[in-house]
Amino acid sequence: MTPRLELRGITKTFPGVLANDNVSLAVMPGEIHAVLGENGAGKSTLMKIIYGALSADEGEIRWNGELVRIPSPTAARHLGIGMVYQHFSLFETVSVAENIAVAVDEPFDLPAISARVRELSERYGMPLDPDRLLHHLSVGERQRVEIVRCLLQRPTLLVLDEPTSVLTPQAARSLFETLRVIAAEGCSLLYISHKLEEIRELCDTATILRAGAVAGTADPKTTSPAKLAALMVGSALPETHREPARPDPTPRLEVRGLDAAAEDPFGTDLEDVSLAVHAGEIVGIAGVSGNGQAELAALLSGERTLSADDDALRLDGEPIGRLDAGARRRRGLAFIPEDRLGRGVVPLMSLRENVVLTAHARGGMVRGGMVRRDRADAYARRVIDRFDVRCTGTGAVARALSGGNLQKFIVGREMELAPRVLVVSQPTWGLDVAAAAFIRQSLIDLSRAGAAVLVISEELDELLEICDRIAVLYRGRLSEGRNRGEVTVEELGLMMAGGSAAAGATEPAGPAAGRTGS
Amino acid sequence: MRLQFEPRPTPSLAAQVLAPIAAFALTVVFGSIFFLVLDLDPFETLHVFLVRPLSSANGVSEWLLKASPLILIGLGLAIGFRANVWNIGAEGMFICGAIAAGWFALAFGDGDHAWLLPLMALAGIAGGMAWASVPAFLKVRFGTNEILVTLMLNYVAVLLLGYLVRGPWRDPFGFNFPQTALFGPSALFDPLVGVYRVNTSIFITLVAVGIAWLFVQHTFTSYRMTVGGAAPAAARFAGFRDSHSVWLGLLAGGGCAGLAGMMEVAGPLGQLTGHISPGYGFAAIIVAFIGRLHPFGIVLGGLLLSLLYMGGESAQIMLRLPAALTRTFQGALLFFLLAADFLIYYRPRRVGRR
Amino acid sequence: MARNISRREALKYSAATGAMATGLAGVPRLVAAADPLKVGIVYVSPISEIGWTKQHSLGAEAIADTFGERASITAIDNVWDPQAGERVFAELASTGHGLVFGTSFSHSTPIQKTAPRFPDVAFEHCSGLKHSRNLGTFEAKYYEGTYLAGIAGGHVTESKKLGFIGGFPIPDIVGPGNAMLLGAQSVDPSITCSVIFLNSWFDPAKEKEATAALVAQGCDVICSMTDTATGVQVAEQNGAWSIGYASDMRQFGPTKNLTSFMLDWTSVYVGAARDVLDGTWTSKVRWQGVKEGVVTMSPYNDQLPAGVIDQLTVAEAAIKDGSLHPYRGELRDQQGNVRVAEGSRLSDPDIRGFNWFVEGMVGNLEG
Repeated sequence: MTPRLELRGITKTFPGVLANDNVSLAVMPGEIHAVLGENGAGKSTLMKIIYGALSADEGEIRWNGELVRIPSPTAARHLGIGMVYQHFSLFETVSVAENIAVAVDEPFDLPAISARVRELSERYGMPLDPDRLLHHLSVGERQRVEIVRCLLQRPTLLVLDEPTSVLTPQAARSLFETLRVIAAEGCSLLYISHKLEEIRELCDTATILRAGAVAGTADPKTTSPAKLAALMVGSALPETHREPARPDPTPRLEVRGLDAAAEDPFGTDLEDVSLAVHAGEIVGIAGVSGNGQAELAALLSGERTLSADDDALRLDGEPIGRLDAGARRRRGLAFIPEDRLGRGVVPLMSLRENVVLTAHARGGMVRGGMVRRDRADAYARRVIDRFDVRCTGTGAVARALSGGNLQKFIVGREMELAPRVLVVSQPTWGLDVAAAAFIRQSLIDLSRAGAAVLVISEELDELLEICDRIAVLYRGRLSEGRNRGEVTVEELGLMMAGGSAAAGATEPAGPAAGRTGS
Repeated sequence: MRLQFEPRPTPSLAAQVLAPIAAFALTVVFGSIFFLVLDLDPFETLHVFLVRPLSSANGVSEWLLKASPLILIGLGLAIGFRANVWNIGAEGMFICGAIAAGWFALAFGDGDHAWLLPLMALAGIAGGMAWASVPAFLKVRFGTNEILVTLMLNYVAVLLLGYLVRGPWRDPFGFNFPQTALFGPSALFDPLVGVYRVNTSIFITLVAVGIAWLFVQHTFTSYRMTVGGAAPAAARFAGFRDSHSVWLGLLAGGGCAGLAGMMEVAGPLGQLTGHISPGYGFAAIIVAFIGRLHPFGIVLGGLLLSLLYMGGESAQIMLRLPAALTRTFQGALLFFLLAADFLIYYRPRRVGRR
Repeated sequence: MARNISRREALKYSAATGAMATGLAGVPRLVAAADPLKVGIVYVSPISEIGWTKQHSLGAEAIADTFGERASITAIDNVWDPQAGERVFAELASTGHGLVFGTSFSHSTPIQKTAPRFPDVAFEHCSGLKHSRNLGTFEAKYYEGTYLAGIAGGHVTESKKLGFIGGFPIPDIVGPGNAMLLGAQSVDPSITCSVIFLNSWFDPAKEKEATAALVAQGCDVICSMTDTATGVQVAEQNGAWSIGYASDMRQFGPTKNLTSFMLDWTSVYVGAARDVLDGTWTSKVRWQGVKEGVVTMSPYNDQLPAGVIDQLTVAEAAIKDGSLHPYRGELRDQQGNVRVAEGSRLSDPDIRGFNWFVEGMVGNLEG
């Protein structure tokens, strides 16, 4: 049988980076083919080449056996290639049908489009109302819009880039059902992911990329996860070590009945949020993005303050709600935000300058109103050494660091403050496996050394790995914390979807769903 | 394929040095073509524009005289700009500084007082700061947009000055022309050399450059403001307060502009008239950005803008070029400079269509 | 140094100027002669097709026409702020220009400060009130023109209200405004005149507003002493009569322009250039009007009755021979005080320092 798509010797170089190095792969008709690799392994570049958004420096592409050039996404669509990006490009204020109508290469006929959307969504088990306005839709529903949009063009190859990164486990499973139906009808799927479990569950073949080159091909259903991981990382997966928590009886950080209206009109209001974090333990907050995590993090860090009479936030029993981030940090509360560039660090400032941001008081970096560069430099050097930050030195500009090294720098900078409480948001987002493991271990070590650590993350696996207790944030409300070992992935997934049994039908709300009824 | 710009991972050091040189080269090329099309000798024209203004002692004097207020105002504005405080009101602050200083000059100028000039300088600073405190207060208290408030206050200041010189402060012996009496000698800076107009106030600007450099390079206050400007989220994350940056940014701009206003009326003008600023407050914005908001850069920017201005007049005088053409050339140089600066932080990349 | 001259001295100076206004003044001394001569001219507003600056540029052209290769002209326009003024005058003087003209009252301080720095250069200042060894002044008797135009206006006004717009409330604007009303009042003593000052010589937008405002107040004859034809234009659009200034402005008010009092500086420009070329230049104070041909009237609007035009011709001749003076007594000020008694006239120094309004003027000098 002729492969639907065949790549031979694809090579693509960016200044200073070899993104794809002689990559070859073949996707058969009706096959679900995984492209597996760490962040930065070259998956996205390869997909962009297939979809015509980039052109390869070398190599050839064959489509149903014929040599083709794909100069643009339009050309790719004409061949029959559809693409579902990780980040959606949809218009918030118009309906599902209108969003689809403007994106397909055919006459603008709303009733016809609506009818076909209904038909496709029923056929593939993806409930979707074409007349709803987009800003009422949950993230999962938005993804369906993107998929239906592609299916309307009757593709014979559908490319999906990390499609489950925004979904609950239940929603991911229902997506897999849909994808299997699509594949069964003869459409090939190219499925990009770095999550081993779902690839093992869904895919027929896996091509594993490492550092831009093909590290191997495997049948994921028969290959062990450890083998796949080893191919992906190039060595055995690092493991984290944790001792049992021995938390203090009195809480370090306490939140009691916190109510806060969102400042952003598309944000989520927090309602009656309560939690306690004790010295010596790690507490996790799970949930799908957009359910109040950003609001909660800003209130905990002091980036947003409460009115003076609101004592919903306490640190060691003292109300801290009205203190700004600097004042809270002086009392021992450190924070690591999910946005690194621009919030955790100033992108165009050097590492030396960036340590002054949070460490100026503790590091004695200011005397007589003047910044003491030698002190800042020494501090930055300590962080670089202890946290193995790969960079050209303390004068390196923050923006020049890779994601993993930058996060190591930020984590290191805050940990060097020896905080009594550390609040960290999305600690390993976008990091490679080794860096993520390093940071998780650092968080565990800090808590075991006597700090109270609160981790807000969308990655359930991560929370289950490092936390002693996990609570779930859904539409601005925080569930009771559940002890590790007493809660399953399934249960947490249900809580992330609002606790309903029919998880596939009523899945988590989109960013605006907490505020706007439909 | 089309061209796109993406941020450089690190601002290129080579580009920082080469940018102004490249900009200058491009301007020379553009200017040569431009002048050739106009049937002018490019070499001679460029010479008239860029060299001739400085080829006499009077030229150098005028050059420094015009650059001095531009630099001083630019220094103050840059402190605000680094913190994203967009003060477009230096013109008004300049005028208010001149008014405040002018009151002392008119009240005490006839006597022989050594303290008068220092007092006028303080009054100039205070006048500019007072004017700047209005947008600062409104922004901190009510969140108003400082761009609009400072811009509008320029007009208020012009009208206030107009009222004073037409009404209460009008020179009773000035044939009803809207201007005050000439200031007495003790309210005027001494000329630096002979009959030339450049005066001792230039030392104030020099000292201000040093202070600004110290402030920008070494103080924690400046660090906090810079963080607030470069990454507001990082400033909130660090716990640096916005309101301090707003106040300080505007007061620095106002103080410098007010002092420059005082230097102008106690220098080349010697009196208050309805038009004491030929747009210094606005030109200084360009100076600040040409200088990349760095004190030494601002010195160069001020000297360059002053030279361009004089070059334009020189071309009008020597080559009979219409003002519109000279301004096109001036605009080209500024454009190339700012465009070249952009390339320090961004690099062009060819991309496929999408 | 010029800026150290106190205003009190300046006052004495100007009084002396007034007294000697019609004769030669200053200490005669020759400035360096040059041949060919470079003449520098500084204009206060952009050179346009019409108006104040245009009339001065005609003077420059006359020099070029008269002397050909013996003279070259450097003109710089739109110089109104004092910082630039002083720099430009110095720049011209230091680049070999033997004769430098300032063309506005706004150039007073800059040219007065510059002249002493360049003792070998001849400076000529239009509208200037102070002259010195190498700084001559020249000025027109605008009030003779406005008086004649006022007579015409007095015959056509129905509302009995005239409107007057001036750049600045300086004597050379205030006086002509008064004279226009006096001319109109010679027809009907009940006529009044509303005044607005723009505080700029060149601000068409503001001038348009001012004209419209005067028309809205009921003024049906408008005269605007600025550097543009805006007043004439806007009056035409609003159906009001207009009086043009400096140039013949008929084209801007084809139906309603009564007349324009025009300025002809060519004799001054050519004369000064000739004197410098000949090495006989001395600083003079010139103050000339209808008699010398510096002020002339453009053809009167043909809607004026023939009798009125005859009357105007007679009046013009009378001004020329001195038998009619616009500022003859009795003159009362806005408060009704008699300022000039019956049988006498306002003295020349008082005319050149005119800083009060005659009875019937509506407005004030605060601008």
